[in-house]
Order: sequence, then structure tokens, then C-alpha cells
Amino acid sequence: MPARVSLKSLKRRGGLFEGIKSNIQALAVGVKYFIDPQRSTLLYPKEYIEHRPGYRGFIVFIKDKCISCAACARICPSAAMKMVRVTEVDPKHPDKPRQKQYPVINYQRCIFCGYCVDICPTEALYHTPFQDVVYESLADMFLTLEAFQLEPGRPSVSEGSPVVYEVDEERGLIKRRR
Amino acid sequence: MVLETILYLIAYPPLWQVLILGFVGALLVAMVAIWFERKAAARVQRRIGPYWASPRLGGFMIIVADMIRYVTQQVIIPTTVDKIAFLLTPVAVLVVTILPLAFIPLSPHELYWPVASMEYSLLIALALTTLPPLLTVVLGWASSNKFSVIGSLRESYVITAYELVAVLAILAPAASTLSFNIVYIVEAQQPVKWLAILNPLAFLAAFLAVLMSTSAFPFEIPESEHEVVAGPYTEYSGILYALNMGGGYIRRFIYAIIIALVFLGGWAPYTPGLDPFTGFIIPSLIVLVKASIVVLVMSFLRAVYGRYRLDQALDAAWRLALPLALLGLGWSIILAYMNLI
Amino acid sequence: MEGQKLQGMVVRRVEKELYEVFIGPQHPGSGHMRIIVRLDGDVIVEADPDIGYVHRTMEKLSEVREWLKPIPLLERMTIIDACNITVPYVNALEKLMDKSPPPRASYLRVLLCEINRVASHLYGFGIFGVFLGHSTMYMWAFGDREVFVELAEILTGARLTHSYPIPGGVRRDMPQDFPEMARRAVRYMRGRLEEYRRIFVDNPVIVKRLEGVGVISRNKAAELGIVGPNVRASGIRYDVRLAEPYEVYDELDFEIPVFEEGDALARTWVRVEEIKQSLSIIEQAVDWLERHKGEPIIPKEDYDKLPKLHREVYEKTGRVKLLPAHATMKIPAGKAIARGEMGRGEIIYYVESDGGTTPYRVRVVTPSARNAIVFKYIVPGHRLMDLPAIYGSIDYFPPEADR
Repeated sequence: MPARVSLKSLKRRGGLFEGIKSNIQALAVGVKYFIDPQRSTLLYPKEYIEHRPGYRGFIVFIKDKCISCAACARICPSAAMKMVRVTEVDPKHPDKPRQKQYPVINYQRCIFCGYCVDICPTEALYHTPFQDVVYESLADMFLTLEAFQLEPGRPSVSEGSPVVYEVDEERGLIKRRR
Repeated sequence: MVLETILYLIAYPPLWQVLILGFVGALLVAMVAIWFERKAAARVQRRIGPYWASPRLGGFMIIVADMIRYVTQQVIIPTTVDKIAFLLTPVAVLVVTILPLAFIPLSPHELYWPVASMEYSLLIALALTTLPPLLTVVLGWASSNKFSVIGSLRESYVITAYELVAVLAILAPAASTLSFNIVYIVEAQQPVKWLAILNPLAFLAAFLAVLMSTSAFPFEIPESEHEVVAGPYTEYSGILYALNMGGGYIRRFIYAIIIALVFLGGWAPYTPGLDPFTGFIIPSLIVLVKASIVVLVMSFLRAVYGRYRLDQALDAAWRLALPLALLGLGWSIILAYMNLI
Repeated sequence: MEGQKLQGMVVRRVEKELYEVFIGPQHPGSGHMRIIVRLDGDVIVEADPDIGYVHRTMEKLSEVREWLKPIPLLERMTIIDACNITVPYVNALEKLMDKSPPPRASYLRVLLCEINRVASHLYGFGIFGVFLGHSTMYMWAFGDREVFVELAEILTGARLTHSYPIPGGVRRDMPQDFPEMARRAVRYMRGRLEEYRRIFVDNPVIVKRLEGVGVISRNKAAELGIVGPNVRASGIRYDVRLAEPYEVYDELDFEIPVFEEGDALARTWVRVEEIKQSLSIIEQAVDWLERHKGEPIIPKEDYDKLPKLHREVYEKTGRVKLLPAHATMKIPAGKAIARGEMGRGEIIYYVESDGGTTPYRVRVVTPSARNAIVFKYIVPGHRLMDLPAIYGSIDYFPPEADR
């Protein structure tokens, strides 16, 4: 069924009575919320949002699963992910060091599109469900291979309690403590 | 004995009324009004508003923090301004704004009046309240900035229209009590024959006119942010800006005191005694509370209304507010004729 | 000096009686642009929109990125309307690749598009409110927009930059509890629209500010070539969803509200009515999606190519994994045009491929770019205080126009 056009026209404006009525209506809505504000403000440092599992947050690398295919570095739209060459011990031949490529990420450039996570053929990358991470300097945002394998520290967790936002029919977003 | 002397000293009208109530009280009321404006707007808008500055006080300390910021901020004086006018006008605005308090009696006893005679106090106080907007025009002109000039031009339009309404509407009680003496008007309203109830038209007109002429938030046409940045105050920064902004709130507060006296029964239903405490301090505090309520209701309107366009505001002044004020005046005369008050 | 041309500029004498005011770019009411306004008293005699302050070379950047990469890039033109702006690009790619998304993917795209449209209109309302000095409308609209941003986040994993459609389908399936949540949000928003009407749209002060302001007549609207809710407020029945239905818009039951007054109030009402229609589309889309559970969200030939791990992830989380081939995907040579209806109007993509791994040319015409002309031709004759009212009512968004 294709869309239909519905021609509408503006209400004719009434006289004095209509004016008084709409003034009172506006004031009544104002007073209603003045009495019961129905807030959903997040008191940020005291509370923090616990996102759902699908949230595209910071990316963590699992080195053991990586097959060095470099697909993540190639798909990255903002060139945030780069491959680095490392010399490491080959588990099969402990005496012979081998050279391998692993991805590292630059969070100055990352836009959290999640292409790298989606393209990884072995699920060696995954999203953490949070984005409130603080770096002290820009240089810290270039993650080393070691740092890329750890979930970044989240200062909110130590300072606040988690809340979950839910959609409510009456009040819009409501926060629920966990 | 010593205590009594101190009490008398405090109740010395120039000290109590102009310094303590005038400067400190007005400052405090301005702070509470700004805080309430932010909090009330926040409630209507489903937010919390100021909070983290002092969670237990509902964020009140943020106003103090703001003041500290204004005081310690660098005052930038652009090279193109008229320096003397630019620097002196904000101070003059504040002084002139407080001045009407010298002619407003806050007690029925002559001893506690700031000036000896209150015979024409309402007229003089109203005349003095019309002074600060003139200085605002000077302010905009001295800034030598396009937005300032447009802003002060708007200010002059708005005051021309609404000062008249405000004066007419506030003079309505004088018409019904046949006196310009505020003390007499207040006494005539004892205990609950408040003119706001007997003559709601004039009260409404006065309320609207004060809201408009002091450019309270939803109607801040002269300094509306989205066309003229900050209007006359565009070039100001630091303490000078704070003086300008505070001046507006204090001016509204002075109007509110006059409204509380002539429409809301002043110190009624309380009957003042003779000693400084019951005769002066309590009645003045009652008036203060009533005035604060008027200011707070004005602040609440910020959340509900948008901004009128300049020509529409002027149109409303001549076609709606002025007839309303005249009707109120007429009704006052009928009240006086029928001896209802 | 008069009329003398300097490089890229024209020197012209300003009339002595006219007052030239520069609104923007460092001005609280201008957005990322400048409007040079010449005033005669309080009346604007000339308005000159000076755009380009946030030009980010979107078209050129698209040419040096592989086919999938412009999706997250183009989103950034209108970050508040991310799905609507990327769907036509993906449609153009699909035309070139001769691929069509399965119905479920189309419905998911439409669902996110309409969520975006509601959020975009609410954003517009918020800015409009603050332009008119109505701070409550600003806060309410932004607060309620959060409901729809939350829905989009649950669906795609990102609040604003969804990067949701990919050629052939979408990146994620809907979570199990999403339909119920979407229905609750829709019912909530319907109730809120009534309160918006009371405090804002029917508020006497606001009505006075908008009625008869910035009137664009039917002929003028056609002549200026403006699009979106602005043109529908002038009585022109034009909407891409009506003129050339893309995705599954021809299967849905919805109305295109058209008003004939052409003033700022009509433009406001068009948006209110459109939010209502979008809410109804969201309901229909989630109903359909619930009835057709388990259908694929990528074409069968693509699904068959997926390795075992990819299929497992898809069955378990509904996340479609990309193949490494996507990074160096080549698209057959050809030209394609696709258009779509964003919150602010019609967006057109012209995509040309030379058979390589990157587009040869991506041309974008965004709705705001076409609406910017209103400043030049509609604003003169109004008062200075009408400028924010007109600006807000056409819902102009500089980053979108500048590209």
C-alpha cells in the first residue's frame, strides 16, 4: 500500500476565549511538571549507564585467536587500526623466533563503527559495552599490543553504581538501579 | 538596655532599609531568584538543574560560585568604547535601581521611615523606578557595538510602552484609596481587603507590565540571545556584567516590593507593634516574603513562555495591557466611589 | 570601487541608512554559518547566507575510500539522521551491484530510518524552541529524543553513528525485546506530542511568533526548489517516499501530511504530523518484523558464502559478520542515482564506479543545501526577530548543507 497524501489545514485561531484557554493549558502543563518533574537525569559520577551487550564500545583484542590476516586494518574507515610486526616465540618451535603481525589501535582516530569486529574471521576482536574511558594524554591513546589485549580501565565503576535505562510508556526513559 | 540600643541602631531606617534590606537583601533575593529560576525551569524541563555545587542545598552554592567568578574575571574594556560612560553606567544603574527603596515605607510608624514624609511616596518611588532603563540606553550607546545599539533601542521601545502601563496600573490603588501615601494604602487594605483581590485587572496589568519592562526571562526582548547576543550588555564582562545582570533582578525585586505593598496588603494581616522588632523588622520581612513570591512566580513563567517579537510586544502593550490598566484604574475609581475600600 | 571585483569578493557600497549586522559565525543564534543582514530600522532588507564554514569535503573523501568506508563517513554530515542519509548511498551501491536486500533487512532499515526521523524532528524542535526563547521545548525535545536514540542504540549498538545498512542488508538483527520497547516508546511519544501542543505549538506567544511569518507560497517553493517538510508546508505534495518509494515504503500504510499555509506555523505542524506518521510506521515495522521472525537479513547468496563461525555468530547474536572480501570489494562499472527522504527533505546520491575498489565519483545533494536559499529570498521584509523563527522553522542544519 503506497503512501497517501493527507491535506490538512491549520486551525483557525479563535478569539479571546481561545487565547485564555490556550494560555491556561500551557501554564497547566508547566505546573504539572513543576509538581512532578519525571526526571531521568543520570547523576554521572555517582551513577553510570550499564549498556546492553550489543553496545559498540572500546575494542579488545584476543591475541591467541588472531591469524594476522590484516582484514581489520584494511576495513578500518578512519585508519585507526594498524598492523605491527612483532618477533615472538613460536609455540611449535620454541628455539626459533618468528615474526608475526598483530593489530594495534589508535583511539584518537577510532570512530567505533565496529567494522573491524565484524570483519574479523576468527572473532579475535570484541566490543566492551562501555565508552567512558579516560586517557591522561594523547600519547596514551595509541594502544600498544599489550594494552590492546586488556579491557580498558573504567573509572566510573569505582566511583558510582550502575543503572540501566528502560523505556516506559508513561515517563519515557526511566533509570533502574541494578 | 544595650540590646535595645543595638536593635534601635539596626532599625535605623537608612541602615536597615537601604543597606541591609536594600543591598544585602536585594542581593540575597536576586541570588535566590536566579537560583529559583534555574531550579523551577529545571523541574518543568524534567532536569535537576544546579546540583553538584552543593547537593544538600539543591545547588544553591553555584550562584555564589558564579559571583566569585564574575568578581575575579578579567574586565575587558574594548578600545572603541566610551570609557567613562562604559565604566560608570553599570555602577550608576545599581545605585539608581536601589534608590526607590528610600521612598518606600516598610513600617506604619514614622520613626522607621527612611524619609520624614510619606505623603507622595508612591509617586516618587514609581518615578525613580523609571530611571534605570534610561541608563541602559546610555550603556548600549557607550558600548559602540551594533548589537548593543539594537538592544538598547529595543529597551527604549519596550520601556516607553510598558513603563506607562506599569505606572498606570500601580497608581490604581492610589485612585481607590485617594492617597499617594503607601502607608495609607497598606493600612486601607488591612486585614484582607487586598487590592489584588478587589481589583485583579490592575494587578494583572501591573504584573505583566513589570514582567515586560524589567525584561524578565521569557520577555527579554532587549537582550534576546538569538538576535542581539546580549543586547546592551554584549561588550561587558566580569564584575560589570554582573552588576548589569544583577541590576535587572534587583529592579524587578523593587517593583515586586511596591506591588506587595499596594496590591498584596503590605504587612497585612500582621499588626505591627511599636518597638523596632515588631514595628519594623517583622513587617519589612513580611513584605520581603510577599515580594519574593511575586518574583518567583515571574521566574516560573520563564519555563512556559517563549519570547514575543518586539512589535508584537509593543502591540500587546498598547492594545492589551494599556486597556487592561485603564480598566483597572476605572475599577479603582468605582471602588473608591462605592466606598468599598 | 562599486562593483569592483577582488579575488572572490565583490566590494559594494553599503547604503548609509542601512545597518549591517553580521549574525554568526561566532554568534549564539547562527549555527555554523554566517548570515549578513542589512537592516532598515528593524526590518531586514537583505539577507545573505554565508555558508561553508563546516565544509568537510565529503564527496572527495568518499572517492579515496573503499566502497564500504564512506558509510560511516557520510553519516557525519547529519549525525542526527544517520540511517536516512546512508540508505540512499547503499541503495545506489545495490543498484550497481544488482543486489537487493531481503524484505526483513528492508524493514529493519525503514524501522531505523523512522526512528531517526522522529529523533531528527525532535532535534529540530529543540533548536526551534531555543531560538524562540522557549527553553522548555528545547529540554523536552532533547530529553524525548533520548528515548529514540536509546532505541537506535539497542538496535544497532551506537547512539548516533549507526553505520547500519550495508550493501545487501543490514548489520544486525533486532533483539528479542525490541518490539515491545519500541511500542512503549511510540505510545509514550504520542502522549508527549499532546503536551508539546499545549506548551509550545498552541502556546499563544509561539503561535503569534510563527503565524504568517516566513510565508513561502506554493509557486515560490517550487521556484526555489526547497524540499522536505518545508515544501510540504507550502502545499506541494512531494515526498520521495511518495514519488519514488524506496525500500518497503510502498508496503506501509502511512500518510504524507501536507499543509497549504506555507508559514512557519505550518512548517511546525508538518513536523508534528510527520512524527505521528513515523510513530505509526515504527509500529507497523515492528509488527511485520515480529510476524516474520527468523527470515534472513542478508541475501541468500551472501549467506551461503559465510563460514561456519560467521553463521554461528549470526544465529547467536544476530550480528552479520563481514567477509574479508568486503574490504577490497569491487563494484561493476556504472552509474547510479538513488534518493531518499531524510528528516529535512530529499537527499540525492549520484555514484559512479569505474570497476575499481573505490568510487569514481560520489555526488551528494543534501536537503539543507537546497533549503539554504530560503534565507536569501524569504527572510527580507521580515523583522530581525523573525530571523531565528524562520531559521528554526526551516530546520536548517549547516553541517548537512556544507557537506
